[in-house]
Amino acid sequence: MTVLDKPARPAAPAQGTPPRGRRGTAWLLTAALAAGLLVLVPVAAGTGAYPIPVGDVLGSLLNRAGLGGTALDRVAESVLWNVRFPRIVLALLVGASLGCAGALMQGVFGNPLAEPGVIGVSSGAAVGAVAAIAFGFGFLGAWTVPVFAFASGLVTVLVVYVMARAGGRTEVVTLILTGIALNAFAGALIGLFLFFADTAAVNQITFWQLGSLAQATWPKVLGVLPCAVIGLGLAPLYARRLDLLALGERPARHLGVDVERLRVVLILVIALLTAAAVSVAGVIGFVGLVVPHLLRMMAGPGHRFLIPGSALLGALVLLGADLAARTVAEPAELPLGVLTALVGSPFFFWLLRRTRRRQGGWA
Amino acid sequence: MKGTDGIVRRLRTRLAGALLSVLALTLTATGCGGSTKAAPTAGKSSSAPAGPNRLEPLEGKPEPRLPVTVRSADGERVTVERAERIVPLSGSLSEIVFTLGLGDRVVARDVSATFDQAAKLPVVTRGHDVSAESVLSLRPDLVVAETTTGPQEAVDQIRAAGVPVLFVKAAKGLDDVGSRIRTVAEALGVPAAGEELARRSQERIEAVRKNVPQNKDEPRVAFLYLRGSASVYLLGGRDSGAASLIEAAGGIDAGAASGLNKDFTPITSEALAKAAPDAILVMSKGLESVGGVDGLAEIPGIAQTPAGMDRRIVSVEDGVLLNYGPRTDQVLKSVVEQLYGEGGAR
Amino acid sequence: MRGVLRGGRLSRLVPSRPVPPEPAAPGEVLAEAEDLRVRLAGRLILDGVGVHVRAGEVLALVGPNGAGKSTLLGALSADLTPAEGTVRIHGRPTTAWSAPELALRRSVLPQSASLSFPFPVEDVVRMGRAPWAGTEREDEDDAVVAEAMARTEVTAFAGRPFSALSGGERARVALARVLAQQAPLVLLDEPTAALDLRHQELVLRLCRERAAAGDAVVVVLHDLGLAAAYAHRVAVLRGGRVAADGPPSEVFSDALLSEVYDQPVEVLAHPRTGEVLVTPRRVP
Repeated sequence: MTVLDKPARPAAPAQGTPPRGRRGTAWLLTAALAAGLLVLVPVAAGTGAYPIPVGDVLGSLLNRAGLGGTALDRVAESVLWNVRFPRIVLALLVGASLGCAGALMQGVFGNPLAEPGVIGVSSGAAVGAVAAIAFGFGFLGAWTVPVFAFASGLVTVLVVYVMARAGGRTEVVTLILTGIALNAFAGALIGLFLFFADTAAVNQITFWQLGSLAQATWPKVLGVLPCAVIGLGLAPLYARRLDLLALGERPARHLGVDVERLRVVLILVIALLTAAAVSVAGVIGFVGLVVPHLLRMMAGPGHRFLIPGSALLGALVLLGADLAARTVAEPAELPLGVLTALVGSPFFFWLLRRTRRRQGGWA
Repeated sequence: MKGTDGIVRRLRTRLAGALLSVLALTLTATGCGGSTKAAPTAGKSSSAPAGPNRLEPLEGKPEPRLPVTVRSADGERVTVERAERIVPLSGSLSEIVFTLGLGDRVVARDVSATFDQAAKLPVVTRGHDVSAESVLSLRPDLVVAETTTGPQEAVDQIRAAGVPVLFVKAAKGLDDVGSRIRTVAEALGVPAAGEELARRSQERIEAVRKNVPQNKDEPRVAFLYLRGSASVYLLGGRDSGAASLIEAAGGIDAGAASGLNKDFTPITSEALAKAAPDAILVMSKGLESVGGVDGLAEIPGIAQTPAGMDRRIVSVEDGVLLNYGPRTDQVLKSVVEQLYGEGGAR
Repeated sequence: MRGVLRGGRLSRLVPSRPVPPEPAAPGEVLAEAEDLRVRLAGRLILDGVGVHVRAGEVLALVGPNGAGKSTLLGALSADLTPAEGTVRIHGRPTTAWSAPELALRRSVLPQSASLSFPFPVEDVVRMGRAPWAGTEREDEDDAVVAEAMARTEVTAFAGRPFSALSGGERARVALARVLAQQAPLVLLDEPTAALDLRHQELVLRLCRERAAAGDAVVVVLHDLGLAAAYAHRVAVLRGGRVAADGPPSEVFSDALLSEVYDQPVEVLAHPRTGEVLVTPRRVP
């Protein structure tokens, strides 16, 4: 009799040496990512076009926390607290959201090449934003564009999902094909809006599509915060079920996963994370694609590390990218979305080649 | 999947490219092609031009003496034989032709020609998408274009069809007002009218300049190009075209002063805070896109400048700000009033 | 890590943690189909099938291509919704169970094993333990996983990514995952298809062991010799119906098999052991 038999016997000694290396790597990486953030956040807080030494930043922080320190002069204080800090926080939130959404997306579709753009959240959100700009909607003030982006992004995902469902099930192929069709439709709509928009609006649309955190404010941070917190909080709960989904829909169901429900919940979480990020920061590509990839290469595909890890690395990457965007060409500001795509796409090519060499394909 | 992404990405790349060229083209010469709908802005009552958006043409209608042969700004020699059907490809050039008293010979307009007299004309271009076929369908006998007008292929096609195309050097400042008027008038065979209008315009500008308050502390004015509150804003530099206007109004162009030589540079919020301008010059549509003066004063970076804290904002309608033509005195007057007076857009 | 899993349970809220089944009594019916009709893409694949699967026995499903073997297995594993008739697992209709409850009661080996991400072999096998997460049996995970890998002879490449394995190795890893699930009802769809002779024997020996330990095993097979050697009972399917059901020694006859397969077949006794041998009659 063996432990495979029931009723269970006391555990037999494990045979062979199970590969613990990867789990160790995961913990090491988590620690490294956290350390990276602990280093980069103060660096970002102390760097910028407006000269505020790190010591002064610290002093101002302590002062506000009521622990001594000294307040800076009026302008420096305002630059620090109303320009730099909200921007840093927004970069962290948007980066974490995009990274996490990318990891979830790839898990849900069982396709390592999937990115939030595939099921149409990004372009759906873009349609709303572009429409708001092109037709000059302004009834929600500065919030009009973000609100439109968010609403249309969510609507798009729901439309994709409803259209891709047949007989209470969702085939991945149908889902992705529907996403493609909707993406194309969204692209056409954007083109149409651009055609009808006046030059000023075309410029505004172009600016928006380039993606930027330049106009980060605390209200924007507060706008993203609930979406990001809910999304980032829910995502890790589904890690183990996402692992099982890698076996395929049926095997996952055989192992007790309610696949349909899992998919609905995760798609909503993805929509929440992506649409929120896109609505305040415009279209910032490649973070959702490259970040989970890199981590999967280093620590394996297990989602229990991949999901929180992608949020951490996403935050780190976007904070770094934004720091570069606002300091490299000082006083000029580089477009953040362009920067991430510029660095991200060659990196992704390298990943592709490397993975193909190592594993003979995507499996 | 890759296909669609490709399309979206291509669109994005194209947009990125277009952004630079569109800005360079629109802003510098044609006065950032405004829109057909002249949207009124909050607190914009004293924005230029004051009162109705009408031109004031010269007395009498000069009769063109043609043919004339002139040198176009692109180096070509252009012979104008008739001037019965004129197509100016920018609002600024339209303004000159109309003010010379030849408005009844103009058969189409660019979208940036927003004044009342041109309102009924069909829109043939929207700044930078000149279509040879659209232009030729109007059977023009003279096309007047800015040196920044494109694409080159369309212009070549128009010329190949036997229609003379006169390029006029894009305006960079107040000094260009006279020369642009004279160039257009000469090509239209009305040099005397051109001389008269150039003199009238210069005199009016001088009159406004006399009334500019003599400050010990010249205000530093940042010319910002804003489009929505979701993205970056651009700071005008030495070649933005606004420097001359700001200096004439007794201010210092903050962008040029901080060493920006390009026309426009996307600038970080902190760099703007560091530049600390006393006033901000914006175009009315840009102001509108960020939610008016209230919205502008809250934008990170602007809120930290003296201009933002004092809400010292100067707003001028997009279609006329950088036109440098017969109405520039009104623009300058409005800028001066908003910069120093109580009537500023606050 | 365990904390995260507990959180995973919290998010489920309703229904609460599924209750594992009591050990089955020998001979107890763990799965049954009654008058089962299944339509796929408008075509009637199963036309009035009735089978019982009992604890302690290996049931082999055999028959020609398109007879409905895999469809019947799919219906028994609650993948397919019957057009008519009922399928009961552990006495209750399949629709009355939740997915987590079913996962504690039946395990399924699909015909082909694929994986979206390059998980290492050990992680794949460990996925079989998912239904037990949060129960006291979770503590046995390491031992069960190691044992399942040892029995299927995959321990040697426990650390290699699944995607780097050969077809036969993948099939054994998939089987190890199914064994690790420790469900009383084991449904295997052509587990021997990609395997060499030695591993075919190994897999069916494992089936017998599971049956001996009190489980019910259903296995779809093409090799009638293997079915004859290892199954307690075979169900011969033809055109969506059960043509015969019983011990191989009773069911396998020249006449039945020749008719069902539309190919002359000879059933012999092994000259030395007396085992049932099935071989096609070939025209020289």
